[in-house]
Amino acid sequence: MNTVTRSFLRYMLRRRSLTLLQFLGIACGVAATAGIVLSARAALGSFSKAVEFLNGRATHSLERPAGPMDESVLARLMSDPAVEAFSPVIERSIRLADGEVVRLLGIDPFLDRPLRPALVETAGSQAGEREKASLSDRLAFLTQPNAVYLESQLAVKLGLAPGGTVKTAKGELEVIGTFPNPSGEPLLLMDIGHAQTLFGQKGYIDRVDLVLDDAAAFLSRWENGYNLQTSLGRREAMIRMLQAFRLNLEALSLLALFVGIFLIYNTAMFTVVSRTRDAGILRSLGARRSEIVSAFLTEVLLLGAVGGAAGGVLGYWLSRLLTSEVGGTISSLYFFLKPAPPSWSGWIVVAGTLIGALACGLGSLWPLAELVRSDPARALSGRTADRRSGSNARKLAGIGAALMAAGLFVLAVSSSRVYAGFAGAFGFLIGASLLTGLALVLLAPALRRTLDRLGGLPGKVAAGNIRLNLGRTSVAVAAFMVALSMSIGLSAMIGSFRRSVEQWLDNQISGDLYISSMDESDVPVSLYDELKAIPGIIGIDPYRSTLLHYRGTSTYVSAVDAAVLQRLASFRFLEGGQENWDRVKAGAAIVSESFARRFGVKAGDTLTLDAVRGPAPVAVAAVFYDYTSEHGVIMMDRVRYLSLFEDPTITSLGIFVDPKNPRRSEILADVRRRANERDLPVLTKDELHGNALRVFDATFAVTLSMRVIAIIVAFFGIAGAILTLFIERRREFGIYRALGFSTAQVSAITLMEGLAMGFVSFLLSLGIGTAMAVLLIKVINLRSFNWTIFFHLTAGPYWLAGATALVAGVGGSLYPIYKAWRTYPQIQIREE
Amino acid sequence: MTSDPIVRAIDLWKEYPSDGRKGTAALCGATFEVRAGEIVALLGKSGSGKTTLLNLLAGIDRPTGGRIEVEGRNLEAMGERGRTEWRRLRLGFVFQFFNLLPTLTAFENIFLSLELAGKPDRGRALQALSDIGLEGKDHRYPHELSGGEQQRVAIARAFVKEPLLILADEPTGNLDTHTGRQVLDLLVERCRRSSTTMIMASHAASTRRSADRVLRIVDGEVVEESPAADVEP
Repeated sequence: MNTVTRSFLRYMLRRRSLTLLQFLGIACGVAATAGIVLSARAALGSFSKAVEFLNGRATHSLERPAGPMDESVLARLMSDPAVEAFSPVIERSIRLADGEVVRLLGIDPFLDRPLRPALVETAGSQAGEREKASLSDRLAFLTQPNAVYLESQLAVKLGLAPGGTVKTAKGELEVIGTFPNPSGEPLLLMDIGHAQTLFGQKGYIDRVDLVLDDAAAFLSRWENGYNLQTSLGRREAMIRMLQAFRLNLEALSLLALFVGIFLIYNTAMFTVVSRTRDAGILRSLGARRSEIVSAFLTEVLLLGAVGGAAGGVLGYWLSRLLTSEVGGTISSLYFFLKPAPPSWSGWIVVAGTLIGALACGLGSLWPLAELVRSDPARALSGRTADRRSGSNARKLAGIGAALMAAGLFVLAVSSSRVYAGFAGAFGFLIGASLLTGLALVLLAPALRRTLDRLGGLPGKVAAGNIRLNLGRTSVAVAAFMVALSMSIGLSAMIGSFRRSVEQWLDNQISGDLYISSMDESDVPVSLYDELKAIPGIIGIDPYRSTLLHYRGTSTYVSAVDAAVLQRLASFRFLEGGQENWDRVKAGAAIVSESFARRFGVKAGDTLTLDAVRGPAPVAVAAVFYDYTSEHGVIMMDRVRYLSLFEDPTITSLGIFVDPKNPRRSEILADVRRRANERDLPVLTKDELHGNALRVFDATFAVTLSMRVIAIIVAFFGIAGAILTLFIERRREFGIYRALGFSTAQVSAITLMEGLAMGFVSFLLSLGIGTAMAVLLIKVINLRSFNWTIFFHLTAGPYWLAGATALVAGVGGSLYPIYKAWRTYPQIQIREE
Repeated sequence: MTSDPIVRAIDLWKEYPSDGRKGTAALCGATFEVRAGEIVALLGKSGSGKTTLLNLLAGIDRPTGGRIEVEGRNLEAMGERGRTEWRRLRLGFVFQFFNLLPTLTAFENIFLSLELAGKPDRGRALQALSDIGLEGKDHRYPHELSGGEQQRVAIARAFVKEPLLILADEPTGNLDTHTGRQVLDLLVERCRRSSTTMIMASHAASTRRSADRVLRIVDGEVVEESPAADVEP
């Protein structure tokens, strides 16, 4: 290493506290990105492995368009010449006693063997005991109604061995053996006959997995009333369902990195400012510009690489925490997934290093140009502080305004592309961050007056310092403003979304009691019939919801009692009101807003659905607001649903009792009793709302954690900026002390600078944050999930941002204040 | 001392822009030359343009008019790369505020100069340190040295690469009288011993006495004075 580079690198040791702040900021920024990317990848990786494992050799799967199918279909399949092998499957989730939900696969071990030999053969064969996987065990699998094989990692976790008992919401299941699952997903394996009994599906199966040697010929015979999907197609369809979710997660992680790049810019700018004099000396000694640039880049990239490597490790640990949250969210919103945490790899450090170095390279471009442009003669004159003129700030603000306009233009012209939406929003945010310099210039007189009133002379000096060191302070304010704006934007978006969901729940889920199983069991039709006969119940909604393939992609179809909902619920429609139900009662359907937007459908159109007896036209009566699924819901009356899909399954029952009925509590107690007799949990409307909102909150837990990380990163930025100002002006402080300022007054200057920078960031974030909230609600969410969120302005996000700004302003000043007191009484005037 | 000029300034102008209007002139047609081996004292009041002139001669600042020749070559025509090479190989700079790199030790500050000149000889750097009486202080950082010691290191840094010309900008201006005299003696002695040319901006009377020639900047012009004249700096 040459001496020029060494002279730059030694600053990292010399200013350890600042280096530490910068290092932590970069590490947190990279950790956020790595954490999200790793957990999303782990979830998808687990999903792919689970699908691969569960698919085995199956080339296709056969399902009914909606709901389970009669097992009599197996006799037809047996005689179909295109079928090489087939295996009927019951695939449900089941809740364990500790609350964990796992997948249960019901199979016929004889029919399944050609499709999933690994699964059937290894069951009960842990630790090389295949030969001993005794006949009696296998016999027990077939004969014992509650016998299950347990995935080996789950068995270890539950402390169970063959012979043990696993407690579930469906009763106790006896473990007769364990088996390894390469996907790491906890899984229970049961004989299909017993699974049918367990889930009340006697005579029905969920699907048939097939090995076909002539798919085209098979399809020609099974075209009507069935859905035939290739294994690959099924997997891809499920991955497509996650697209918007994944994109939103990744955009969020980019936010933290975006704030991190600001921090790096700040770091690099500080490096330039504090090295300008050294660069001048080196130039006077004959060092070339390229040598100085190389030393500068080495310093900045080294910091980025080391911070990035640490960020990679931190990100890995973060991903271990986030993976289960991401899995839980996917399970709540899309399909059952129990992802295994990501495994450690040295590549994580390499990737972190590269991201850190790359972000540093990006953040250093402008400062590097500044360094190259710096005038050695001016630098040698001792004018090292970066004191920019207002004209520079005006130029930047002009560029910023243009970027904001360009961002809005992109948002306006790219009507449906979510990527363009994100690009536009980021452009808007970058543009807004360039306005901070001008804002500081314009606010300077007011800031000076306010700080003068608050802190007297130190306040006035602090205001002057912020204005004079615009190159430094505007970047710190920009980074913090971006973090606060995103905090306000995300909080307002989540708050508005939550409020919209609450209103939607109030409107649509308005029954007194809801009966449904905690897992994927159905509510017996017999109970529905029984409850209908109870006097005093004014309505029962037998709700059914299941996946449906429409135009080659997955969506949902729901069956309801239209007459009951027309009378007792108050759905919100894009056009019209409760009269829309009249057409539903006559056989039409209503579709959710997400369905309408996704497929370009409007009221009056006709849908062609793949029904049991072939394609069937269904008229669209109206479009309703709904937050059940971003993939869309087609809702129809139960009578119409039964005629189309012949699926009598009931997912849940909504019970309505007249509030004025004197026997109301008696009737409700009777309903509870009857449901409990069948081991079916009963929830009140409020409990159901609470559950829905808990899922909602869990869904946004990752979003909130990203918001916190972005604020932490920005905090390091603002603390770094305050410390930088302090280090750069130690000589000035010495002069203040010589002029008679007390140490308390010198500390007050630093504190006021921190508070003022925090305050200006907060002030700017009020406008930019609200604009971001509107963009997130009206553009990003609408394009990602196809549903309207109604904007509800609340003070909470603004209070939170204000408190964060205050804490960061004070917190960031603490260390410099400590330094000021520690060096009392002689802050030095002499040169370094 | 009748050799060819090392440095020749011809009708040199330097104006600084102020408030967007026509600028303030620091130099207004300065013309002079300095021959090999000469020690020239450059005198003038504070703000008269001494530092500006030295920066122009070093090629770290550019004149707004006129011409500078170093070793018979037009400094402006040498280009950025040529001017860097000029400083790297042929020029030593000594400053009023020492301008040692704060993150390098005394030894490293000297060695840096050799490294830039393409002669990374550690023994020579240690010898240079010893020559200025700072043996054993090679691992000390600038803030661990006294002002006089720092300036000695700066002098060693300037001389170690055996330059053709030393530019010294108020080398004693930041030192007490006694230390200043020692530093001045060291500078002059090193120049005399190695026949190195030096232009030394200063206002100390002792500087005048040590110089072969005295140039004074008055109203942006350079005028020659007798070294023996007893006038104000």
